[in-house]
Formats: sequence, C-alpha cells, structure tokens
Amino acid sequence: MTTRDDMPIFATREAVDFVIIGSGAAGGVLAKELSTNGFNVVVLEQGPYRTAADFNHDEVSVMFQNEMMNHPAWSDPQTFRKLESETAEVLQGGPPPALYSRGVGGSSVHFTGNYWRFHESDFKERSLLGPMQGTGFADWPISYDELEPYYTKVEWECGVSGQPGPFDAPRSKPYPCPPLPVKSSGVLFEKGARAIGLHPQPAPMAILSKPHNGRPPCMHCGFCMGFGCEANAKSSTLASMIPIAEATGRCEIRPLSTVFRIETNAAGRVTEVLYLDARGREQAQKAKAVILAANGAETPRLLFLSESSRSPHGLANSSGIVGKYLMGNGHCTTQAAFEQPLNEFKSVQVTRIVHDFYEHDPARGFYGGGGMDARPFLDSTPIFFAQSGLPPGSPKWGSEFKKLLHYYYTRKMTVLGSTTSVPLERNNISLDPTHKDDKGRAAMRMTYMDHDDDLAMVAFLQDRAVEILEAAGAKEIWRDPIEGGVIQAHLLGTCRMGNDPATSVVDRYHRSHDISNLFICDGSSFVSSGRGQPTMTIQALAFRAAEHIGRFARRGEI
Amino acid sequence: MTNTRLESGNSRRDFLKTGGSAMGAVWLAANASLILAGCKKARTNLEGQAGYENITPLEAIEFAALVDQIIPPDETPGATDTGVVYFIDAALGGFMSGAGPGLRQGLDDLQKRTQSAHQQNIQFSELSFAQQTVLLKELEDTDFFGTLHYLTLLGMFCLPKYGGNRDYAGWDLLGFDHQHAWQPPFGYYDATVHGQPHTRGDDHDHT
Repeated sequence: MTTRDDMPIFATREAVDFVIIGSGAAGGVLAKELSTNGFNVVVLEQGPYRTAADFNHDEVSVMFQNEMMNHPAWSDPQTFRKLESETAEVLQGGPPPALYSRGVGGSSVHFTGNYWRFHESDFKERSLLGPMQGTGFADWPISYDELEPYYTKVEWECGVSGQPGPFDAPRSKPYPCPPLPVKSSGVLFEKGARAIGLHPQPAPMAILSKPHNGRPPCMHCGFCMGFGCEANAKSSTLASMIPIAEATGRCEIRPLSTVFRIETNAAGRVTEVLYLDARGREQAQKAKAVILAANGAETPRLLFLSESSRSPHGLANSSGIVGKYLMGNGHCTTQAAFEQPLNEFKSVQVTRIVHDFYEHDPARGFYGGGGMDARPFLDSTPIFFAQSGLPPGSPKWGSEFKKLLHYYYTRKMTVLGSTTSVPLERNNISLDPTHKDDKGRAAMRMTYMDHDDDLAMVAFLQDRAVEILEAAGAKEIWRDPIEGGVIQAHLLGTCRMGNDPATSVVDRYHRSHDISNLFICDGSSFVSSGRGQPTMTIQALAFRAAEHIGRFARRGEI
Repeated sequence: MTNTRLESGNSRRDFLKTGGSAMGAVWLAANASLILAGCKKARTNLEGQAGYENITPLEAIEFAALVDQIIPPDETPGATDTGVVYFIDAALGGFMSGAGPGLRQGLDDLQKRTQSAHQQNIQFSELSFAQQTVLLKELEDTDFFGTLHYLTLLGMFCLPKYGGNRDYAGWDLLGFDHQHAWQPPFGYYDATVHGQPHTRGDDHDHT
C-alpha cells in the first residue's frame, strides 16, 4: 500500500489556497477542479492511499473485517439511538451506523456506482407539494437546470455508462459510455416489470463499459459493491480525479491524516486545520480557505469538534441546525429464486432499474417516491450468501443446509427499493457525551428513525417488487422485513444549503453563512434526499461548487 | 408456480446488525494482517498435514465432528475435509483469540451433556452422526454454536490463503467460480439476449 511519505509539496506553515478535508466523491472532484485551475491544494484524508494494485477479492477482510471502513490507526466508535430521549449505545459487531469507506477516494472506492441524476422535482418539492408540518421539508436554493451542466461533467469526466430512460430529466449531452451488458437479474427484472406495465431502463452506472479517459472497461469480476476495483474501471475519484489533480503538481494528498479541529481567529476566519498525521503527530496546515468534504456524518462532527468561545455550539452553526435533518434514504429488499442459474456473482451489481414510482403521487396517501433495481446484493460473494442468503425457515446446518446452499447460490436475485427520506430535526449527528475515540475526540452519535411516510413508501415498493418478481416467473419470493434504518450508507442533509442563514448552514455556493472562507460541500449540503442514489448529485454539486469557489478566489472574494 | 412467502424473514437483517454472531467486537477489533499471518500458518499446516498450533489434537477431533455437523461430508467434501479445523486453529491463535475461552467452555459443556445423555467418558466425536445431531440441536441458540457456525462458514468459503476452502471445495459446492474476468452471457436468462448459449447449467445439482 502506498503511504506517500515522499517529500511534501507544501509547508504546513505557509497558507495554501485551499485545504480540502476528505478525498471522496466531493473532495476528489474539488481537488481536481481547483488544482487544474491553478490553485494550490492540500487534501487531508484520514484513510490510507490504496491504489488498484492494493484491491483484492478478499471477502473476509473487506466484508467481515470492514478493512475499507475502519480507521487505519485507532478505534473510532460511533453510537446510535433512534430518538433523542434514548441513550445512544455503541452497536456491537457489524458495520458502524455511519457506514463509509476510509481511504483516498473515500466511499466512491467501495460504492456500487448507481448514478441516477435527480429529477427537476427533487429541487422544488416543497413548492410543488406544499408544506409538511413538523418537518424540514424545503426547496433547494438551486434548480435542476443550474445543476445540469455539472451532471454532464460528472458523466464525462468521472465516467458513467448508461442510456436515457423515459422518466429522466432533460440532458444536454448523451452518456459517454453505453450501458453495461445486461445480467440475468436485469433480464428477469425487465421482463417482470414490462409484464405489469412498467418502464424498466438500463441502469446508469459509474463503471466503464468501454475505454474512456484512458481507463479500461469493466472485466465483470463481480467483486464490486464494497470492494475497490482492481481494474480502475469503477469511476471512483481515486481512479478518475485524483491522478489528474496530482499531475498538476499543485495538489498534495496527505493520507492517514485525521483532522480534529478547524481553527479560527478573532476575525472569525478559518486560519488552519489541525490533524494527526500518519505517525500520530499533531500537525497544523495553514490555509487561505478550507473546504469541508468529509461526508454528511463526519462533516458536522468536525464542526462540533471545532467549537470555541466565538462558536460555542460548533463552527458555522449560528443557525443551530448543523448536524440536523440527517437523511439516509429508505430501503427494502425482496429476494427471489428462479429455476435456472442466474450466476449473479459475475459482473456489476445493477443493470436494470425502474423509475415509474420516482415522483410523488398523492393517490398513494403519503409523501414520497423511489426507484427500484435488480441486483445480487449480498449474495454476490460466497461467505455473505452462506451466512444469510437462504429463504427464511431454511435449516441453518446439516445436510439439508448444504443442499440448499448449492441450490440457491446461483439461482437468486434481489430487488432493492430506494426511497425518499423526510428531513426531520430529530434525525441528526451530534457528539456523544460519554464515548470517545482513541485520541480523545468525542465519538460520533447518530440519532435516526425513519418518518412513517418513508416506511410507507418502502412498503409500497416492496409490494411492487413482489409483483415484478412474480411476473418474471420466480419460483420463490421472500420479503426482508421493513424496519427503520440503523446503518446509513447515504449521509445527507446535515449542513443544508439555503438562502436564509437562520434555516441553513451554507449558501447556494456552499460557502458557510457564518465564515466567509469556510466552504462545505458533500452529502451534508442536501436539502432533500432524492430517491436513494445520491453520489451523482454530490459530485455535480462539487463540480459546480469548485467553479464558483475558484471564481471567488480569483476575485479576492474569499 | 411462484411460492410467495408473505411472512417476513429476519435472518438477513439480524445478520447485518450483529455481524453474524455473538463475537462482533472481538472479530472486528482484529486486523487483516494478523489474520493473514495466522492463516498462512494454517495453510502450511494443512498442506503438510502438520499438527495444530492452538488447539490440542483431542480438541481438533471434537471440532472436526462439530464442523462436519454443520457442513457434512457426502458426495462432496464436508467442512473438515475442506480445512475448516485448520482455519479455526489459526483463528484462535490470532484474530479470534478472544473467542477461545468461550469455545473451550462450550466444548466442556458439550462433553458433559454427551456423558449425561450417554455414558461416562464417551466423547461427542465418538457418538454416531445421528446422536451428535440430536445433542447439537439443543445448543442451536447458544453463543457457542453461533461462533462455531460463523467460523465454519468463514473457513468453508474464504479465499484458500486463509487455510480453509481447500481445493476450492467450498466454492464448488456453491457453484461459485472465481475468475478475474467474465464475459456475457453470465447466466441462463441473459444468454438469449447476448445471443450465445449459456453453457454452465445445473448438471451437478443435488436437488
């Protein structure tokens, strides 16, 4: 594994143009855009600098030891509770509540790569549908039209394979790569969906189907969701953005660098970023401006950790809403087995999606919308399947268990439904009052319970999934239970964007309302949750933010 | 005909929440390089049929009987033939050492149950397969069985470098084929779309 302990480009005592905290979906884009536009950039990343050569098919370490997700040097527990009236606990075993990958490229390295653009309605649902009492339901300060050119940039610069579908918002340019080859799950899903009058479409995926930007296409190895790509065919920022940023000579990626404080001066401006380096030594990097892109959970945590007498409730938090309105997207899974082998262990997770239920429909009787896709989900790798992939009521050991393992492994698929999350003040990230990490930082505390409408939408999609699978000719179908989310891979909404400093944390250009040289750009900027695949929009926001931030810097307006 | 189960199953959700068994934190606290160091040893031991490092030969006999209850040998290899006992030996010496006391306590308890159900001084492994199954059924919900079950499936289906999945017997059982590159058609149902026959069928089916 590369640790990049080579000579630094920039001295910590001299202020660089930008320090970017986080090198993931947003941070990687910002680093590339700003460095190629002539700015000096230091990127602080808490995880290691893995490259394609470090990635493997080791299910034990990746899926069971959370090798991509654990802090590389110390224990960093998170606590969870459903409601603020409860005491949060560290969950034993399993992944943490805020599930993200640590390493250069962040979670774009281990993601599945579903790259749905938002629809026009996503940005203005409050205006379209009216208020929702007791919630933070609001319009975005930007429109789809404003973001469209940046969605196109994501598709072409990062690399997305797809084909426009009947429900998609307007686009200015076709996809750069055609859809990936359809899998058996996609064929069956499409057949079932058409049979009940729906309009399935090829899935837009951030995985190359043909050579693009000097990178090779997918080899269909199957170790995709949760794993890093050995071929650089998955369009992580590690594969697509970071190499371009580093080639400028103006971007220094510092891996194994965990930020614990953003320092401000008496004038209320950010001056430097304090972090622990790979050897655990305290460092302070001076900066003219800081861009926080640490994800929707670590970003608010860091703002809270940076509290001072000037900002007693955390940096950039005069509104009091930093950390609030956390949204994770609701999910349901419905599993099925077919007569013949699908062999879903091969290739990418998703090749077909259904967006017929994307828009809110008052006839359903609750707020929400969602999308569906066909995929192996957790059955793509052998151990996960063996531990949890058989139908409910199956024997868990013995000769019958062994027979069932053989029968089901190649014959299964899952339909995943993903939905809206209503933004609620009660769902949030805060600092845990008792638990700390190894270095004494207050642990992250997640408080989360889905809104009833989120669960109603999830249940609605599960009913449709059963209909699709029946129409596709499944031999058996079983529903996974619908419960509120605990583990969130989509960390959204905790520093929401808006025009009013009283009800938002950043403005329409991602500048914090309180501190003119502090920008925040990642999933935390979201005002609404979309329909379950947020990374495409996180990156479009990052391309757009970089353009405006660069403009401000050139004009001396930072 | 579709058999639609409207009853909700909970195995997958529970599994995700707990990481699969009672050991959670112990397991997660481990680090990958430690595992690998331990497991390389397991593999060497398996290849050379060497002794065990962390369990006694008698314990190994009992573990062999236990893991074969979970994945029994029949037309295809069971867990012991696939190297699972070596995998467990390595695990208890390194990344799962925290689970050792619980497993040993569970083993003691199992022998006491064996002896009270059958006769003094008889070991679990000396019972008939069917007698073993009856005894183990009573322990299905214990942490002991959960840990053993978790380790057995890990050892059965891991990369062979961990000492288990010997000769890919685990993956062959599933029909999982490990290649670094595939071309469509991937399965039966996409073969017509891709215009090529899908060759791998259910020729070695048990059912």
